[in-house]
Amino acid sequence: MIIKKAVVTAAGPGQSSLPLQRLVDRDGVEKTALEMIIEEIVSAGIDSIAMVLSPGSEEAFREAAGNYIERLTFVTQREATGYGQAICCAKDFIAGEPFLHLVGDHLYLSKQARKCAQQLVQIASTNDCIVSAVQATRENMLPFFGTIGGLRVPQEERLYEVKRVVEKPTPTLAEQELTVAGFRSGTYLCFFGMHVLTPSVIGTLERLIADRKKPVPLADALHELASRQRYLAYEIDGQRYNIGVKYGLLNTQLALSLNGQDRDRILTQLVELLGTQK
Amino acid sequence: MNSTSKRVPNADRYDAIIRRWTETIVSLDESLRNRTLESLAEGLDADGLLAVAKELDLFHRKSSNLYHRVRAHFMLAAIYRYLLPGAIPETNAGLLPYEAYQHILGRRFSEAIDTLIRAQSIQGPTLAISSALARAYHQLGIQTLADQVRRSVRTVRGNQWMFRIAHPDDHPLRLNSVLLKPDAETGDYPIATERTSVRMDFSHSGWSDIFFLGMDFPEGAKVLNASIDLGVYGRDSEPRPPVEAYLRVIDRPVLRLVSTDLGAEAELHQIDEVFDFAKDYLGLLKGALIASGIVPPAMEGCRRPISELLQVLTGSDHLGIELVSKVNDIPKGSRLAVSTNLLGCLISVLMRATGQVKNLTGGLDVADQRLITARAILGEWLGGSGGGWQDSGGVWQGIKRIEGVIASPEDPEFGISRGRLMPAHTILTEDRLPKQSREALQDSLILIYGGMAQNVGPILEMVTEKYLVRAEKEWEARQEAIAIFEQIVDSLQRGDIRALASWTTKNFTGPLQSIIPWCTNHFTERMIQQCKETWGDQYWGFLMLGGMSGGGMGFFFDPSVHVAARDWLLKTLVETKRSMQDRLPFAMDPVVYDFRINDRGSSCELMTGDDASMPDGYYSILAPKLIRKEVRELSEQAKRDLIRFHRTCEHNPSRAGWLLDRILPQAQVAKSGTSTLADQLREFGFDREQHEQIRSEILSGRIGLSENRLPIQTVINDVAGDDFIDLRNGNTFSKVDAEPGRRALAAGEVAVVTLSAGVGSRWTSGAGVVKGLHPFYRFNGHHRSFIEVHLAKSRKTSTVFGAPVPHVFTTGYLTHEPIRKYLDSNQGFGYPGSYYLSRGMSVGLRTVPTVRDLVFHWEETPHQMLDEQQQKVRESAHAAIANWAKIAGEGSDYTDNIAEQCMHPVGHWYEIPSMLRNGTLKKLLEDRPQLKTLMLHNIDTLGANLDPLALSKHLESGACLSFEVIGRRIDDRGGGLANVNGKLRLVEGMAMPNDKDEFRLSFYSSMTTWIDIDKLLDAFGLDRQQLGDPHAVETAIRNLAIRLPTYLTIKDVKKRWGLGQEDVFPVTQFEKLWGDMSTLPQVACEYLAVDTPRGQQMKDPGQLDGWVRDGSAAYLEQLCHW
Repeated sequence: MIIKKAVVTAAGPGQSSLPLQRLVDRDGVEKTALEMIIEEIVSAGIDSIAMVLSPGSEEAFREAAGNYIERLTFVTQREATGYGQAICCAKDFIAGEPFLHLVGDHLYLSKQARKCAQQLVQIASTNDCIVSAVQATRENMLPFFGTIGGLRVPQEERLYEVKRVVEKPTPTLAEQELTVAGFRSGTYLCFFGMHVLTPSVIGTLERLIADRKKPVPLADALHELASRQRYLAYEIDGQRYNIGVKYGLLNTQLALSLNGQDRDRILTQLVELLGTQK
Repeated sequence: MNSTSKRVPNADRYDAIIRRWTETIVSLDESLRNRTLESLAEGLDADGLLAVAKELDLFHRKSSNLYHRVRAHFMLAAIYRYLLPGAIPETNAGLLPYEAYQHILGRRFSEAIDTLIRAQSIQGPTLAISSALARAYHQLGIQTLADQVRRSVRTVRGNQWMFRIAHPDDHPLRLNSVLLKPDAETGDYPIATERTSVRMDFSHSGWSDIFFLGMDFPEGAKVLNASIDLGVYGRDSEPRPPVEAYLRVIDRPVLRLVSTDLGAEAELHQIDEVFDFAKDYLGLLKGALIASGIVPPAMEGCRRPISELLQVLTGSDHLGIELVSKVNDIPKGSRLAVSTNLLGCLISVLMRATGQVKNLTGGLDVADQRLITARAILGEWLGGSGGGWQDSGGVWQGIKRIEGVIASPEDPEFGISRGRLMPAHTILTEDRLPKQSREALQDSLILIYGGMAQNVGPILEMVTEKYLVRAEKEWEARQEAIAIFEQIVDSLQRGDIRALASWTTKNFTGPLQSIIPWCTNHFTERMIQQCKETWGDQYWGFLMLGGMSGGGMGFFFDPSVHVAARDWLLKTLVETKRSMQDRLPFAMDPVVYDFRINDRGSSCELMTGDDASMPDGYYSILAPKLIRKEVRELSEQAKRDLIRFHRTCEHNPSRAGWLLDRILPQAQVAKSGTSTLADQLREFGFDREQHEQIRSEILSGRIGLSENRLPIQTVINDVAGDDFIDLRNGNTFSKVDAEPGRRALAAGEVAVVTLSAGVGSRWTSGAGVVKGLHPFYRFNGHHRSFIEVHLAKSRKTSTVFGAPVPHVFTTGYLTHEPIRKYLDSNQGFGYPGSYYLSRGMSVGLRTVPTVRDLVFHWEETPHQMLDEQQQKVRESAHAAIANWAKIAGEGSDYTDNIAEQCMHPVGHWYEIPSMLRNGTLKKLLEDRPQLKTLMLHNIDTLGANLDPLALSKHLESGACLSFEVIGRRIDDRGGGLANVNGKLRLVEGMAMPNDKDEFRLSFYSSMTTWIDIDKLLDAFGLDRQQLGDPHAVETAIRNLAIRLPTYLTIKDVKKRWGLGQEDVFPVTQFEKLWGDMSTLPQVACEYLAVDTPRGQQMKDPGQLDGWVRDGSAAYLEQLCHW
C-alpha cells in the first residue's frame, strides 16, 4: 500500500481557530499549529493534504499554512453533521486511494527520530490494511477517545489485531470488552488521532449515516470494518497532545519545549516562576 | 476446680478415622464428598473427636482451597458444639480465657482459636472452651465465605474499575446529554423513570440461592423465579410494577435523594455523605449511587465536595442530580425482595443515565440485565445485607430458571470455588411456558402478606452450616428439594396448577422444614389448617415465598372459588393475626395482593415538558420545605415544582389538606379504644416521685451505666468446691438423696413461680410481643408456647407425685391481659392444678439515654464487632442515634411511641414483692396452707422443673434461697456465682468492676431459685398473717428495696411506622434484680450446680436450631406431659 494523501478534519465546533494558534517547536522556531500538523504529514512522504473545514474558516487556514499552502486542498463541511461525515466530505479528494487521517486539534511528539505519522504510514504500507495509531490511556480519559479491543499480533512489539472499537466507552464496557492482554487494569488502547484508512471506510461511513440519519463517529465505521477485513492498531512511540482542551495549548507547548533545544532555559524559567509563588 | 483429664489423644489409634474426615472434604467423588457428619462421627469417643479436631485444625491451616478450609471450619464447629460436649462430663465446666473472648469480639478468630487450643491443652477438654471453639470456628467459616463473595463481587468484569477511581477528577462517566437539555418551553429537565417488578420464587431448592451454596454446589443451585407486578386487593385498580425510580438534572450542584415511600429527603454536599448509610432512610439510594459507579466505592473517604464530582458528570458547575425512589405501598418483609429490586431499579436508571446501559429508554437486553444484577449484588454487599442471587430477578422479565454455573477458566472464581458468583438466567419463553399455563397460575394462586416481619438472616446462616457439614437429615432433604424443583417446573409448564400446588406444599412440609424447622410457624400452620377446613378439596396447596413463612406467602385454590377464597382469605388472615398478635411479632395487618406476571422486565421512559413530573409523594415531601422559604430564594426549578404541586392540589383537594397536616403541628390523640400513656402510667402503678429522683440522678451522673459497677477495689474470686452442691451428672446421688423432695412434692408443699412480666425484648428485638406466649417449637405435633411447656412440666410432676402443683405466672403491664386471655381461651390447657396470675404492681417510664451512657454502652461494654461493611453501617447508626438523643433531650421522658413501648417493667426483683402486694401469695397460702417452698424460674429457662433431688438439697440446706447455677459457656454472659470480698453471692454482669472478672467465674446463674416461703417473709420482716395488711406489706417492700442496688440499663425498643417499617431506639430504664437478694446478710443462700439442659436459657430464636441438635429439645420433651 502506498499512501500519498492525507485528510485533516478541523470542522468541529470550536476547532476552526485551533490550527491557527502559534507555538514554538522543538527547534525553537515559532510556527502555527497547522504548520506543525502539515510537517508531521510531510515527514511521512505525503504532500497532498485535504483540510476539511467549517464554512468561512478557509481564509484563516490559508494564512496559517505559511509555505505549505501549495500542498493543501480545502474542503468545506457545510453543516456540523459529525466527525464521520467530515471525513466523507473528502471523498473526491481521496479518489479511491488509501490515505492518512489526522484530527486538527492534536499535535504529536515522537520519542524517536521518526515522527509519529512516519511510524504509522510505514506499518500500514507493510501490512497493507487499515491501521489506527493508539496509545495506552488511563480509564479516566475514556470519555474523550475511541477505544479498541484486540489481540497482540504475534512476533510484533506494538501491533494489535483490532476486534472491537467503541467510541468513548464507559469504563464498565471497557472492562468487559476492551481489555488487552499485557496492560495493567484500567489501561486501554485509545485512539491517537491518527489513522491510515482505505476508501472502504468512506463507503461504510456513508451507509451508516444514511441508515442512522444522525452523526456517526469514525469509531463505529471502524468497528464494522474490523469484522470484515484486517484492521490493525499500532501503539505509536510518541505522545499526543490535545490543544482543544483547557490548558491543552500550554501543556503542548511545555512538552515541545522540554523535549527540544530550549529545555534548560524553560526549566530555569519554570523554577524561577515556582520560586516567586507564595 | 474441675476434674478434667489432660490426656493427649493417641493420634495413631485414630489414623484411619481421621483420614475419612479429610478425604470427605477433598474428594471429587460425590459419594465420598457428600458423606454426612453423623456417619463420620459414628462411634467416636472424646479422645477420637479431639484427634479428629486436631487433624482438621492442621488441615484448615495448610489448605489453600477456600472451600476445603471452610468445610473444615464448619466440621470443627460441629464437633465442638454438638459432639464433644456430649462426650465429656458436665463437671468439666472449665474457664474461658478472657483473651480468647476478646479475640472473638474483635473478629480475630484465628487468634482466638490458637488461644483456646492452648488453654485446652492445659485444662483438657471443657464445656466452656468447647463452646468458644465452636463459636470461633463457625464465625471464621462465615467470615471466610463472606470475604470470598465480596472479593468475587469486586472482581466481576465491569465492577473492577469502581474500586480504582478515587478522585472526582478521574471520574470516567458522563451524564447522557439528553438529560442535560432542558425543555425549550417549560425549562424543565427531562425525567428518566424506571419501573421494575419484584420477584416471586416457586422454589429455591432449599435456599440454594445463598451465594455460598451456589458457589460450592452449583449443580444444586436452582430457583424458579417470576417477575410480578402487584396491587393491593381492594385498594389498587390493577397490578403495576411495584418499584419505581426517577432521575433528573437539577439546578443546584448537589445530590438530592428522596424516598417517597419512607418520607425521607436529603441533599448531599460531600462525597463522604454518600457512604453514611445509616444516617437516614436513604441507605438504599446511596447504595445505588455507589454500585452504579456514580460515586465509585473507591471514593469513600476522599473528602471532596460533591460539586466536583457533579461538575465532571454534568459538565457544568451549577447542575446536580436528583434521584427519587418509590415503592407502591408494598410492606417490608413481603419476601418478594422489594428492597433488592428497588436497588436494581435505581441502579438501572443511574446506569442508563451514564451510558453504562445501552438504551436510555425502553427495556434492557440480557447483557445489561446481567450487569445490573451484578451491580445489585455489589450494592447489597456494600450495604452489609447480602441477599440471595435470585433476588434481583424483578429486573428480568417473565418466569425464569436461575441456576448455578460451574466456574470456567475465564471466570475470576476459577480455582477458588467450584461455582461462579453470577448465576445463569433462562427465561421460560412462550414455547416452554404456554400462555395458558401462566393464566392458569394467575387464576389459582393468591399471594398474601401475612404481616410478620422477621429477620431471615439466622436461617440463612443455619442453612449454610448444615450444608457444609452435610448434616444427614438436611442433606437428604436437599436432594429431595432438588428433585421437587424439577417437578415444580414441569407442572407449571404443563399448566397443571393443582400438581404445582401439591409440589410446592410438599416442598414446604418436607425438605424445607427438614432443613429448617423454623421456616414455618404457628400462624402459617393455622392458616393452612383453616384453608383445609373451609375449602376442603378446593384448597390446592401452599407456597412459601423467600426465606421463611409468615410474611409473603401463596395459597392455591380451585379457580372456580378463587374470587370467594380471596375475600375469605383476607378476612381470615386479619382475624388470625389479631388472635395471635400478642404472641407473634406482626408488623402490620395482612394484605392480599393482585398479581400479574411482568413480561417486560425493568423498563424506562423519558418524561419531558409538561409530562416531566415527579410522583405525588415527592411533592408532599418537598413542598413543605419549599413553602417555608421566601419566593425570591427559590430557584426557577423549585418554583416550577411548586406550580406543579399547586395544580395537583387543584385536581385533588385532599393533597392540600395533607400538606397542611405536614406543615402544622399536630396534637397527639389516642386512637379510640386505646388509653393514653398518662392513663396507663396511672393504671400500672407508676411512681412519678421516684422517676424524677432517678432522672435527676442520671443527669447529675450519680446513676449511669458506669455507676452500675461495683467499686474497682472489690475482690472477686471464683467459688471453691465446697461452696456449692454439685448436682451435675458427673456426681451421682442415690435414690434416697431425693426422698425429702419426693415427700414434699407428694404432700403438695411446693409451687412453681414462672416469671413472665417482661416481654423478652431479645426474643423479637424489642417488638413488644409476649415471649411467654410465643409458640416457638413443635412438641408432640403442635407448636407450643413457653407457658404451655411450663404447665406441661408441672402437669407431669402433678401426675408423678399424685399432688397437683400450684403454678403462678407473674405478669406485667404488657403481659397480663394477653396471658390471661391466652390461658382462659385455652381453658388453662386442662391443667389439673390451680394456676394463678400475679399482676405486676410497678412500672417505670423509659427515658432518652444520655450520650454519656450511649457511648459507654457502645464502647465500654463488650460487643461483637461485625463484618467490615456491617460495622461501618453500625457506626454510622451510632452517630445518628447519639444525635437523636441530643435533639430529643438527654434524660427526657421517652414518649414518642405507643404507650406500651414507653413504659418498662422495673426488674424481676419486683415480681415476688408484687405477689405480696397483689395478694397472690396470700391466696396461694389460703388455698394450699401446707405450701412451704416455691420454685421461681425465668420464662426462658425451659429445662427447669420440680426436680426432687434439687428440692431435697434445698430443704436439707435450710437456706432461705437456693440458687441454681450452671457451668459457664461462651454465650452465658451476665455475671454469675462469685466470692465477693469473702462473701458468696450472685453478681450481675453489669455490676462487674471489669469485664475480665466474669471470666474467672465458673458458674452462671440460671435464675432458678428454690424459696423457703417463711424464711423469705421473715427477710421482708413479715409473716403469713401480715400478708393481709397492705400497709405492712408496702412498708416491708420499701424497706427491703432500698437496700438493693438500682441498675440503669439500655434496651432496644422498636418503633413501628409506615407499612411494616421498624426503627430500633436504645432507651434507658432502671431495674432491680432478683439475684441481688444473695447480697443481703439476713438471707441464707445455697447454690446448686445443675446440668446445662436444666439451667440454660432460651433468649434468642437463633439458639433454637442448636438447642434441637444438641438434644436439649428432647431433654425437655421427656420432662413434659401434654
